[in-house]
Amino acid sequence: MKIKKTCLITAIVLLALWPCFILPSCSPQAAQYTKLKYTRLGDIEIPDVEKVTLANGMLLFLVEDHELPLITMSAMIRTGSIYEPTEKVGLADITGTVMRTGGTTSRTGDEIDEQLEQIAASVETGIGLNSGRASMSVLKEDLDTALDIFADVLMNPVFAEEKVELAKIQHRSAIARRNDHPSSITWREFWKLIYGPESPYARHTEYATIDKIARNDLIKFHKKFFHPNNVMLGIWGDFDTREMAEKIEEAFEDWQKADVQLPEKPEVEYHFRQTVNVIHKDDINQAYICMGHIGGMMNDPDYFALVVMNRILGGSFTSRLFKNIRSRQGLAYSVYGYYDAEYDYPGVFYVGCQTKSESAVHAIRAMIREVQMMTESEVTDEELALAKESFLNSFVFSFDSKGEIVRRLMTYEYFGYPADFLQKIKDNVEKVTKDDVLRVARKHIQPDAMQILAVGRPDDFDEPMSVLGPVRGIDIIIPGPEE
Amino acid sequence: MMWKMREARVLIIGLMSLFSVVGVLATRCATAQDLAEFEKRMTKFTLDNGLNFLVLKRHEAPVVSFHIYADVGSVDEVKGITGLAHLFEHMAFKGTRTVGTKKYKAEAKAMAKMDQLFEVIKEEKRKGGQADKEKLQQLQEHFEKAQQEAQKYIVHDEYEEVYTRAGSTGFNAYTSEDATQYIVSLPSNKVELWMLLESDRFANPVLREFYKERDVVTEERRLGENSPHRRLYEEFQAIAFKAHPYSEPVIGHMSDIRTLTRPEAEAFFKKYYAPSNLTVAIVGDVEPQKIRGLAEKYFSHIKSGPKPERVETVEPPQLGERRVIIEDPSQPRLLIGYHRPSVTHPDHAIFEAIAEIIGVGRTSRLYKSLVKDKRIAVSTYTYRGREKYPTLFIISAVPAKGHTSQECEDVIYAEIERLKTELVLPEELDKAKKRTRASLIRQLASNRGLASQLTFYEAVTGNWRNLFNQLDMIEHVTAEDIQRIVKEYFTRKNRTVGLIETVLTENES
Repeated sequence: MKIKKTCLITAIVLLALWPCFILPSCSPQAAQYTKLKYTRLGDIEIPDVEKVTLANGMLLFLVEDHELPLITMSAMIRTGSIYEPTEKVGLADITGTVMRTGGTTSRTGDEIDEQLEQIAASVETGIGLNSGRASMSVLKEDLDTALDIFADVLMNPVFAEEKVELAKIQHRSAIARRNDHPSSITWREFWKLIYGPESPYARHTEYATIDKIARNDLIKFHKKFFHPNNVMLGIWGDFDTREMAEKIEEAFEDWQKADVQLPEKPEVEYHFRQTVNVIHKDDINQAYICMGHIGGMMNDPDYFALVVMNRILGGSFTSRLFKNIRSRQGLAYSVYGYYDAEYDYPGVFYVGCQTKSESAVHAIRAMIREVQMMTESEVTDEELALAKESFLNSFVFSFDSKGEIVRRLMTYEYFGYPADFLQKIKDNVEKVTKDDVLRVARKHIQPDAMQILAVGRPDDFDEPMSVLGPVRGIDIIIPGPEE
Repeated sequence: MMWKMREARVLIIGLMSLFSVVGVLATRCATAQDLAEFEKRMTKFTLDNGLNFLVLKRHEAPVVSFHIYADVGSVDEVKGITGLAHLFEHMAFKGTRTVGTKKYKAEAKAMAKMDQLFEVIKEEKRKGGQADKEKLQQLQEHFEKAQQEAQKYIVHDEYEEVYTRAGSTGFNAYTSEDATQYIVSLPSNKVELWMLLESDRFANPVLREFYKERDVVTEERRLGENSPHRRLYEEFQAIAFKAHPYSEPVIGHMSDIRTLTRPEAEAFFKKYYAPSNLTVAIVGDVEPQKIRGLAEKYFSHIKSGPKPERVETVEPPQLGERRVIIEDPSQPRLLIGYHRPSVTHPDHAIFEAIAEIIGVGRTSRLYKSLVKDKRIAVSTYTYRGREKYPTLFIISAVPAKGHTSQECEDVIYAEIERLKTELVLPEELDKAKKRTRASLIRQLASNRGLASQLTFYEAVTGNWRNLFNQLDMIEHVTAEDIQRIVKEYFTRKNRTVGLIETVLTENES
């Protein structure tokens, strides 16, 4: 469980003394800041997180934090919308919502709202793509009330019909509004281009899928996944660890271990190809641009060099895309480029910006050019140094809150990564060379096989999109409910 | 139960005082005593030039958050230069006479040339249809050439690079109606770097790449134009105020942004960035004595200047409800605003309590009636108004599919009328008070959040202690106070309503 402390400190000392010659401004005009000497950064007290397995299989991560009279809990449950049936997209999300709003065997949802708000506490639940979450935050003085509700919600939700209906109203309203904002159209449709419209990693709700979801589906979905041996619970705050573990064991003692069969995770198949796609949206004066292809996973040994590449390409205020598209050319307010790696399925490599319609194609070309350059030649010494130093010098911020430390450990455990994975990232980032960056860029990025999407008014673009390749129009009209 | 290793306690020495502060806060108790505890870790000092520093020790981790609150925002602009406070904020990242340049003197010359050409171009463009197109093109070419000349001397994004390299996080700035705020967090051994860079930034800023950055801001403005919510808000704001500059969008009007000049931005800086108009908070793993020494070393040479005048314009009382309906392809939305006094008004705490009771959480009156019971909205939001000048208390709602803004409006007004005829319940008031306390405690857990709150209370209310005193104030709010305020301010005559009415364009219908 323990994260090595020594390396971290050495790294920081080293970097504080990083020599001046790599600074671009160490010219005769050198700014004064280059002459500053930094003291060694104070030791980071990395707290030990205590790991406890309860008799019913629930795994606890505890860390004390006595600064403030607060207690926070955060659970991860092995489930996800990837496990919901295609014809019932939205089921996982609605289950996650109504677990909390729909009440339990002993309290209605409205009673829970009332009890929690009287003590300024919160209990929330939700199910995302590949995990379920439940959280609780409370003042120490009210721990017992909140913990009782938290456990009740996890163990005994009844999914009251009226709250199922309320959640469905919310979903239908969201569908009706899903084309209001150009950025939500862009991300949603771009994800479908990459993973395929039916893929669990990109599909979305429709009136028809919401209509098919019934209370019984929620009950079954909950029953399939919500068992103590399928739950991890992180707790941090103002308590004594042993006492807290006992309290939790007591709160969840009626929850019995059960056999959980997790279905297979969906496969992602991808064929690299260049495509050009356009969505007409008449009420906007910018082109919302996104392009890219499939990305990777964090357990790829190339991941560390890709972290460095990301910083150089588009992941910061000092990246090439920011400098060239924003600062030098003034083409966009926000511009980004990122090779995304996920824990247990391939992420997406994406590059994009929003620019006035009249510079859309120019901006697309400029961004493609930046991507090409990553695969053509080595980054400079300065770029490499900046990317590595900024990563390593800001490493201390990974430990400035207990909650962040606990959540990270739980996430690693959940996805089967080593507990010291962050330390591994750091150690490996330190070793990345210019050659590594070029090698991984060439291996993982294909500038000639990016899928390009522009949302806006193509008639106002500086050039027709067809100069980039055969154009496919995407229809975003919202299908009505099935008859 | 299986136990694994148990080890070193996190260092909490030095934090004990804070712990006891909030320990007391959590119970119902006077806050004066808690404040006294907090005060032990706070240091406040003012340099001779008027620059205010608030330093709070918090030794949780070897990191520090810095917050500079410049008491200037879009409210200080006039017609013709709207967006200037925000544009200046962007320009403050472009460096100084030593940062961001290879050869300042030559660069300054090239920039002056650009400014001059831009004025001539502007003059010619003002002629509209009569403008000499050929001349304009020629001027434009000269301008581009001057720009290229200036570019030769630039070290691009050096300022960002220095902070990034030092391990910064949350390096950013933001502009609002009232203020422009510059923030960054650094490992605690980089305090001097911050001192050096920020003192240089506010003593010798060089507004290089001005005309390019203005293009970036026009793109930022377009992002707003492409968001239905912001389209509505801009129209709403414009009719809610007819005299006071809160009517203007922070980002500025497109035609103003496009014609702003560098000399205008420099003059704005000189007027509004005197040390007396800045408040600094530094929160984290620091020693106040050392901070003071460094502050003297780096900031004391900045020339003092007068505190700029406050906005004199007072919004006159409304004579009747104001209403704007925007025709938009997006789904309906609703904004209702009531004029209310500024954040420093003694009744502010009552507005806070009203906002809590009607608008915060699943048990708030509006969420219960609009979302849970009647199911005519998917969400509702209440903004209490925390501005320096008289402002708006805003209620918004997003109607559910198949329901209208009108239905939501009716329910909101009915809830407001109920507040005028029936006193709020004691448990509603208790809930609001407890939540305010809890929310203060939660804010104390973050260097960044604390730095932001301390500068706000110091700069706007005149005393950082009001961060705690607000609890006392809300503690004294009574059900009768609430009724009085709702009767006085939440009237039809005093309100402004903004709506989106869905009108489909041809290819979307």
